[in-house]
Amino acid sequence: MGAALAGHLIFAALLFGGWELAVRFALVDASLLPPLPQVCAILWGFLHDGAFIGDLELTATEVAVAFLIAAPLAISSGFLLGERLHLAATFNPVVHLVLAVPQSIFLPVFILAFGIGFLEKVLFGITHAYFIILVNSFAAVTSIPPALVAAARVFGATRVQVYTRIYLPAMLPLILTGLRLGMILCIIGVLLAEMYASRRGIGRLIFGWGESYQIPELLAGILLVSILTIIVNEAMRLLELRVARFYRSAAGS
Amino acid sequence: MPIIEVTGLAKDFRSGGAVVHALRDVTFSVDEGRFVTLVGPSGCGKSTLLAIMAGLTSATRGEARIEGTPITAPLPDKIGMVFQDPTLLPWKSALANVEFPLALRHVDATARRKRCTQLLDLVGLSEFADHYPHELSGGMRQRVAIARGLAQDPRLILMDEPFAALDEQIRTRMGHDLLEIWERTGKTIFFITHSLTEAIYLSDTVLVMSARPGSIIGTLTIDFPRPRDLDIIGSESFGRIRNRIWHLISEPQK
Repeated sequence: MGAALAGHLIFAALLFGGWELAVRFALVDASLLPPLPQVCAILWGFLHDGAFIGDLELTATEVAVAFLIAAPLAISSGFLLGERLHLAATFNPVVHLVLAVPQSIFLPVFILAFGIGFLEKVLFGITHAYFIILVNSFAAVTSIPPALVAAARVFGATRVQVYTRIYLPAMLPLILTGLRLGMILCIIGVLLAEMYASRRGIGRLIFGWGESYQIPELLAGILLVSILTIIVNEAMRLLELRVARFYRSAAGS
Repeated sequence: MPIIEVTGLAKDFRSGGAVVHALRDVTFSVDEGRFVTLVGPSGCGKSTLLAIMAGLTSATRGEARIEGTPITAPLPDKIGMVFQDPTLLPWKSALANVEFPLALRHVDATARRKRCTQLLDLVGLSEFADHYPHELSGGMRQRVAIARGLAQDPRLILMDEPFAALDEQIRTRMGHDLLEIWERTGKTIFFITHSLTEAIYLSDTVLVMSARPGSIIGTLTIDFPRPRDLDIIGSESFGRIRNRIWHLISEPQK
């Protein structure tokens, strides 16, 4: 834990220190790299700007809706495939083909099919998150040692108890990993859709600032999105680690 | 008085298009309070027989009865089981694992804690109650599994090669300690192993099973006095019994 924190601090120091040095010694054109305090001031201003907050909220809502639809669908499909292996034999290769193709190339198709707007962005987020959560959910089901289920049955577990007391806790670590990766991809999907074609949202703003050379705003936007996604990812990862503490020997015991 | 009666038991599997005969006409009985071991070559259907006796799978022909009742489903209050793999729940402490069978039946938390603390003490792990399986050695995990097998106070414990994954020193020690637990609890133990030494050292009776399709080809009464000392393993009579079983297993059957 301490080593990881040190690593983070060193990375931050190098990044922001290098930035400050580059500005101070004019290593980079000032119009391309504004000083960090200026960017931070703009970022602070954004947080008090109702229009900006509205865009941020819209993007967050799109991500949340997409994730909340994708997660239960993907977990249950993965569970179904894991429990019905003859279905898995048919569908798993399809899932892996889909995962191999960069989904970004389908964005124009999504726009043609669903227009530009909330629905299209949410759907693009859903398809980004769905498959990776499915794969992890499938792996979670198939990783349950059959002997564990047999033992529970010998000790009198009912079918419901086998699911609630063996399946659920045994699947949890991989499910959480899937959800975290799914969340990352979901954010990527929504931001991508916004940057490619959208009227509103944080992705649209960032893309617009880049196009119009508003470098301080662009950097402030990037900084904010980075911080927010790191917070979301780290929160989910901490939960994952907490749960996974007990599972280290799951395969070996 | 037999606690277990197995009569004319057969099990066929369908594998691909072919029918595999795993067990054929298996008949034996186990008297209450006895330590009975089944030995046989790998793949002879020992584990299949145990799964049928545990109520996990059904027989194709014949039946297994416990105290006169046909076994068609798991009977947790009559039959406990210890697996080759300890099959502990990795997210539960040693004590919570021992309590698991009682928790499934909604036994009052105070009562089950008291009983299971005693069981952990019986297997020599009272200091490890709060440890998780990954913090325990292989032998300790199997001790927890034995305590769990005793949790519902069944009269019969089925053991499927429980010490097979342990190194020889630990294995010998575990066998010795198991005999002590058996003598203190008065349970009936039906034990599967492919180690002839382990079988003879532990048992009152050794059942010898043939290669697939498995059937009982020999029943040997072992009458070394109890409590037993490990030194008997080196004795001449021990060697004679061992040779007899070896010949039974290795000679081709008609």
